[in-house]
Amino acid sequence: MLAINFIRRLFLVALLISVPIAGLAQQGQPSIQQLLQEPFLDDYYSNVVYGYEIVTDTQANASRYVGNSLNCSNCHLQAGTQQEALPLNVAGMYPKWRAKNGKRNGIGLRIRECFLYSMDGIMPPEDAPEVLAISAYISYLSQGQIMGAEPEGRGVPTLPDTGYDPNPATGRAVYLEQCASCHGAQGEGVAGMPPVWGLNSYNKGAGMHDIREAAGFIWANMPLGNGKSLTHQQALDVSAYLNLQIRPSDPRDSKFLKLLEHLIN
Amino acid sequence: MIRSYLAEATPSFAWRNRLGNWRTEIFAGFVGAILVIPQGITFAYLAGLQPEYGLYCAIFVTLFCSVFGTSSMMSGPNTAVAILIGTAVLPLAGRGSPVYIDFVFLLCLMVGAIQLLFWLMRGARIFQYLSPAAISGISAGAGFLIIMASLDSILDLSTFKTTFFYEKIYVIVSDARDLVNPYSLFIGLCTIAGGYIGRRFSPRYFIIIAVTTGYLSGLLVAFIWPQPVTELEYLGRMPIEWLPLHLPTINMEYLMMSTMLIPYAITIAFIGLAQSLVIVRELKMETDQDINLDKEVYAQGLANLLAPFFSSFAGAGSFNRTKANQSLGATTPFSGIASAGFVLVLITFLGPILTYMPMAAMAGTLFIVGADMIKWRDIKHYAQVRAELVIYLATFISIMFFGLATGVVVAVFLSVSVFMLRISQLELSVEPIESGVLLKVKGALFYASLAHLTEKFHSHVGKNLTIDLQFTTHIDQSAVDFFIRESRNMAAQGVRLTLLINEKQGHFLKKMGVNSDIELVAV
Repeated sequence: MLAINFIRRLFLVALLISVPIAGLAQQGQPSIQQLLQEPFLDDYYSNVVYGYEIVTDTQANASRYVGNSLNCSNCHLQAGTQQEALPLNVAGMYPKWRAKNGKRNGIGLRIRECFLYSMDGIMPPEDAPEVLAISAYISYLSQGQIMGAEPEGRGVPTLPDTGYDPNPATGRAVYLEQCASCHGAQGEGVAGMPPVWGLNSYNKGAGMHDIREAAGFIWANMPLGNGKSLTHQQALDVSAYLNLQIRPSDPRDSKFLKLLEHLIN
Repeated sequence: MIRSYLAEATPSFAWRNRLGNWRTEIFAGFVGAILVIPQGITFAYLAGLQPEYGLYCAIFVTLFCSVFGTSSMMSGPNTAVAILIGTAVLPLAGRGSPVYIDFVFLLCLMVGAIQLLFWLMRGARIFQYLSPAAISGISAGAGFLIIMASLDSILDLSTFKTTFFYEKIYVIVSDARDLVNPYSLFIGLCTIAGGYIGRRFSPRYFIIIAVTTGYLSGLLVAFIWPQPVTELEYLGRMPIEWLPLHLPTINMEYLMMSTMLIPYAITIAFIGLAQSLVIVRELKMETDQDINLDKEVYAQGLANLLAPFFSSFAGAGSFNRTKANQSLGATTPFSGIASAGFVLVLITFLGPILTYMPMAAMAGTLFIVGADMIKWRDIKHYAQVRAELVIYLATFISIMFFGLATGVVVAVFLSVSVFMLRISQLELSVEPIESGVLLKVKGALFYASLAHLTEKFHSHVGKNLTIDLQFTTHIDQSAVDFFIRESRNMAAQGVRLTLLINEKQGHFLKKMGVNSDIELVAV
């Protein structure tokens, strides 16, 4: 057994040294594209790639815990690398206290809550492979950030006070004109574009269900590829309109409804 | 030669003629399918894989084993094999990650190949040397490991992992308030209670009763407290495909790393075959099925070799499902084929319900399965012979402390040494006759048993010796060398060595070059 252990260690050390050398020489770490080309990855980088695959195609790679038809990259645009679109380079910010659940959150709990609320699914266990892979990917993206400091363009921009209340009626008009071509007149989404309400969208406990949060996201990024073209007021109106629509209930307060939703959906 | 191998390698379907009562077979398959679903899910968990791989194992390993085999044995996900896969691959990659899955499939390919090698070398008879006490000891040890693994999920110890059971028990006892999830414990206890109470009413389906109780108690908990409070672990959606084809990744780097999997692959192949063959031998004794042991080895090996191509891990024969199958009256492999089909159908329709199955309920059934494998009756049975009891207890305790692989090595070593000790005992009787001393030898005369004979020789120095070898079962070269050496010594002292032999022994002794110092007398 000792000999086996020794050989095993030898192999691991050899792998750990040999695989990342190519990337380290250039700019700290290999890019995801480079990693995807590698024939063999060590445990960390294979987890990073797995995390990347989960973020870009959650439906295929983490379907166990997903209850709707969204992918992580529907909100974390460009696989979580785009600023002001909830970028994922936030490993240095955790653990931190969050008002949402009233306790100090590690990155693991943060990811698990994403599955519970935004993905309207069930909470994965702490040691689920999917959670570990996503946290590896988040650590990978956070390379170069200062620990504890807020990364540039974190979250979504906070919109200034426009002096008017958000108006869902004008929001509806804006939605039908600007958004419906991709997200559907009934918010059901078309091929490749996420549904924004209905039972296949995020639930009422999600961060996006907050009017100001969603407005910031919409103003900065929507319509896709043409961000910041709406006025602040238009973004707030659309956000208020979305907020009125039917969507899965908050898993924190309607337990029985939640069960029924899971059983029928 | 090659033709006989080919005849074994093709499915014979000879059982078609005996398929009189196909309704019984189909019903037995249905019950087998219901029994295997919780087992497949929990064993996949033990192997460190996602649950669907266990279900694929329950479908495809069972199917291939039944198609190519000749008996009504139910193959499929197996406890010991699953635990060994987990112990082998966990040091190489994170549980459930893609690399981990690649390594598991590579390991299963190796297991299948080794088992096919066993078949080619007619290895089925090796397993006769593993004593029943050792097999019971391995089974009991595996049961203990299952109970310990099930505690992880019942108490929701996901933050605390250790391989040492005493450490685990100590921490659970001393830190119960911080560590144990009461909701999870409640569901687990409901499941176990449901299982043991259900067994009184229906000894055949109690696993199903246990799972249902656990599921309902899980619904009750979810109805009162939301998931962010309970932090319960659920099974989740299973992306089941009807034909999950998968090409295992094989390249230089994987093969380099996989050299350290080889000892585990051999152990898994051996353990898997040992269990399957014990089951098949029992079936052969108790029923009048037309069973070919070599063909069963081939079927098991081929099933494990093909398993990775269908996203499934290796399996072996299952004691409890074969027993259920037998008690329902199934006598042909058709029940296994039916079982595989029913698993596929049931999973497709049960999928949405299973999403909300708490892992604690699954672990509760696992606890019952594990507790069933440690049988008080076995210990009492083996306590009658000291050697058997030593084998049983040593196997069990070494599995408890050092894991399954070490325990198997201990079991094999002890079985073989007890066997060797017994076989090296010679039955010697000394009679004085007019020319000197007559020594009757019963047993096998080989290097290990010579010491015994040497003592007798040395206590009769200086007398004419006549050795009666008629009742000796086997003579090897070292025994002949011994006789030649002794006869020379005796000739120097002026006495003679006479051997009473039969014809076959005469040929052998002449071939080994017996000299004129020994007088050979044919009887």
